[in-house]
Amino acid sequence: MANLVHIPEQKEIARKSPIEIFPDPKVAVVLINQQSGASNQLLVKVGDIVAIGQKIADTKERISAPVHSPISGKVIKIENAYNSCFEAPTDAIYIENDGKKTKDKSIIPITEAQLATTKNEDLLKIIREAGIVGMGGAGFPTSAKLAVPADKKIKYLLVNCAEGEPYDTADERIMIERTTNIVRGTRVVRKLLGNPKVIVVTKDSKVEAVQKLREAYSKEPDTEVRATHLTYQQGDAAMMQKAILGYETPAGKRSYEMGTIVQNVATINAIANAVFEGEPLISRVTTLNGDIAKPKNLLVKIGTPVSDILTANNISDCGSVVVGGVMMGVALQTSDAPVTKRTSSILCFSKATLKKAPKPTACIHCGRCVDACPVRLQPVAIYNAVIKGDFEKAEKMWAKDCIVCGTCSYVCPARVPLAANIKMARG
Amino acid sequence: MSNKNDLVVNPAPHIHSPMTKNRMMQYTFFAILATIVVSTILWSSVTTPSGWNLGTTVAICAFISVGIAVALDFLIGKVAVDSEVNTWSAAVFGLIVTACYSLGYPGMAVMDGTPIEMGIPVEAPLAFFYVALISVIGLVVFKKVMSLAGRKLVNPAAAAKFLVLLPATFTTLVTSWHLPTGMLMVPSLADGIGATTIVGGNGGAAFGSYLQGCYAIPTATTIDSIESIMLLAKYHGWVGGASSIAVIIAGIALFALGRKYFKWKITVSYLIAISVLSVIFSLAFGDVDLVTRLLFELFMGSSIFMAFFMATDPATTPYGGFGQIIFGIGLAVLTIIIQTFMGFFGGSLLALLIMNLAVPFIDRIRINKPFGR
Repeated sequence: MANLVHIPEQKEIARKSPIEIFPDPKVAVVLINQQSGASNQLLVKVGDIVAIGQKIADTKERISAPVHSPISGKVIKIENAYNSCFEAPTDAIYIENDGKKTKDKSIIPITEAQLATTKNEDLLKIIREAGIVGMGGAGFPTSAKLAVPADKKIKYLLVNCAEGEPYDTADERIMIERTTNIVRGTRVVRKLLGNPKVIVVTKDSKVEAVQKLREAYSKEPDTEVRATHLTYQQGDAAMMQKAILGYETPAGKRSYEMGTIVQNVATINAIANAVFEGEPLISRVTTLNGDIAKPKNLLVKIGTPVSDILTANNISDCGSVVVGGVMMGVALQTSDAPVTKRTSSILCFSKATLKKAPKPTACIHCGRCVDACPVRLQPVAIYNAVIKGDFEKAEKMWAKDCIVCGTCSYVCPARVPLAANIKMARG
Repeated sequence: MSNKNDLVVNPAPHIHSPMTKNRMMQYTFFAILATIVVSTILWSSVTTPSGWNLGTTVAICAFISVGIAVALDFLIGKVAVDSEVNTWSAAVFGLIVTACYSLGYPGMAVMDGTPIEMGIPVEAPLAFFYVALISVIGLVVFKKVMSLAGRKLVNPAAAAKFLVLLPATFTTLVTSWHLPTGMLMVPSLADGIGATTIVGGNGGAAFGSYLQGCYAIPTATTIDSIESIMLLAKYHGWVGGASSIAVIIAGIALFALGRKYFKWKITVSYLIAISVLSVIFSLAFGDVDLVTRLLFELFMGSSIFMAFFMATDPATTPYGGFGQIIFGIGLAVLTIIIQTFMGFFGGSLLALLIMNLAVPFIDRIRINKPFGR
């Protein structure tokens, strides 16, 4: 692992900014698909009155997650809108806020004392009905991930507190400010997995968070907080298992088959909110960062248009808005796009920064990408096959094993768009 | 917001490391320039029989080759639709053309008493013409045209020099100088090297004194030791390799500055392989003088300059670490074989071209399977 590329964190100010609650939007734009897996169908129509937390889109498929209304009000429009998590349009439900804050209480929470006696199916049902998905960026439905087949013994639960993406500090603030909540969330996940050993994996650069985590987890059984020097790439679940547990998950095998589940800390926070408060996933913490004077962490309602957040923070000179992380995230086509369950950060880059960035040029064959690839692919060779349209060759070179971390493009001195093209071959 | 819909949409990742192609080329340019400045200063103490100061000759050659390369690169960039203008890359190429050109005036040519009229283009003003020709052919044919066709197959400076000097060797070097004097003046390495033994029968002197005669400062009254000639200052041969120490310092500085971006594995594996092979050959031939063979193979201008600045050219070498080591070892094996059995003392140039052509194959060798495979 000597070749892992260190990427400057750029978190100095943001990691010290406490979470601020961002006001509810006047009109929320809720995308009906914010998860990977099966697509949702609409449960409401134009003119319907919805309450906070009311399910507005769902499906009967197993690997899926419903979406809920983040505010109370009237459905004013349903139309195909730009999707800020899949780079493709999807249906969006526009809800006009009536300010009444009526709540839907269909999710019945349990108390902490009841946890030991609650059945796993009931817990999974709460997680499923709360629409919880992997909030680190993958968006995989959590209820499906945690429903491990009975014959598979889980030995380790890794709580992913690495937050490797530069600029992002939302998870770090959750670790600092919602520590007790994530500890009780961890208990839920641990119970679901049959009481495995818990390793809370974090980076030594998150000094305050490490301290808080150590204190909070000290009384938990069979639990260890490990603060090591992780690089950005080791935030990936497979890379983290290699770094912490020392083995490489064989290609094609799911993580649970190796006896390990890696769960993101923001997701665990959401699980705790759902199980103990009965609150579906209708808000999330996101980092506002980039070329801006005051980086901050905001608790925003899902469905809040990004432009609302920018306007409220007096950010006008935006050349590019990136959501979900500077390395793996998506650049928005329009700032009208809403916050989703996967929007871990909103990053604004000024026109001046974009102007300074060098343009893509021809490859000089320096081999830096080959050296830097954390999964030992040959990015330049796959790229050459892809631009010739030879996807068969790309697959022979294991293009499907790419973890889309973007390190190859990051290090490329010729700025060849390697990652974007390999992602195409990966499908 | 007025700019809602005119956002720039680039694919992820949205940040990049500060290292760019241009910066790599700038670092390389200044590293090579440092070695050429050292050569210019060293050689300015020598004046050839035609009346040109060698230092001045080097400086003019460098200006000619860099000027032509940069100008042609700009011109081609303007007239060809899909050609990038890479000024720094062209400048580096120009410097390498001068650095790998053999200049100087072997002291041994005057040791016979009367200065021999040199037929080889190692002196000004004829050298200027050759440097200019190599620069033009290298840039246009081997750099630009090959890049347009896909990727560069061979090191442009090495290929152009080879192409230009091949006919010159037959027409001028052999016919106008070596044949009339009756001696090719190049001893063989394919036998035991000793302090007094003349190997191969066609050398005028033992190998050690041949080196001293060829590379020492022609005006000196006392001839320097072989060690100091090979390591510190040679007055003949590749411009870039005049001082091996200078090349090594500049090369290591370059690798340290552009850490992970330059293919230092080639340099290291080449130098180690050369040392090991020299020792093996020395033992096999029963050399009295192992050190001379080792010093010659390692620190001759073509060997040391190529190891640091030509064999590491990114475009014409393997991209994988393992491939780079194979490349370095292959280069060393070919160099030693060519220099020993072909009697061609610039063997690394030919070896480099052969290894360059093997790169597409070397790139396909992989021992390193992906994560979890």
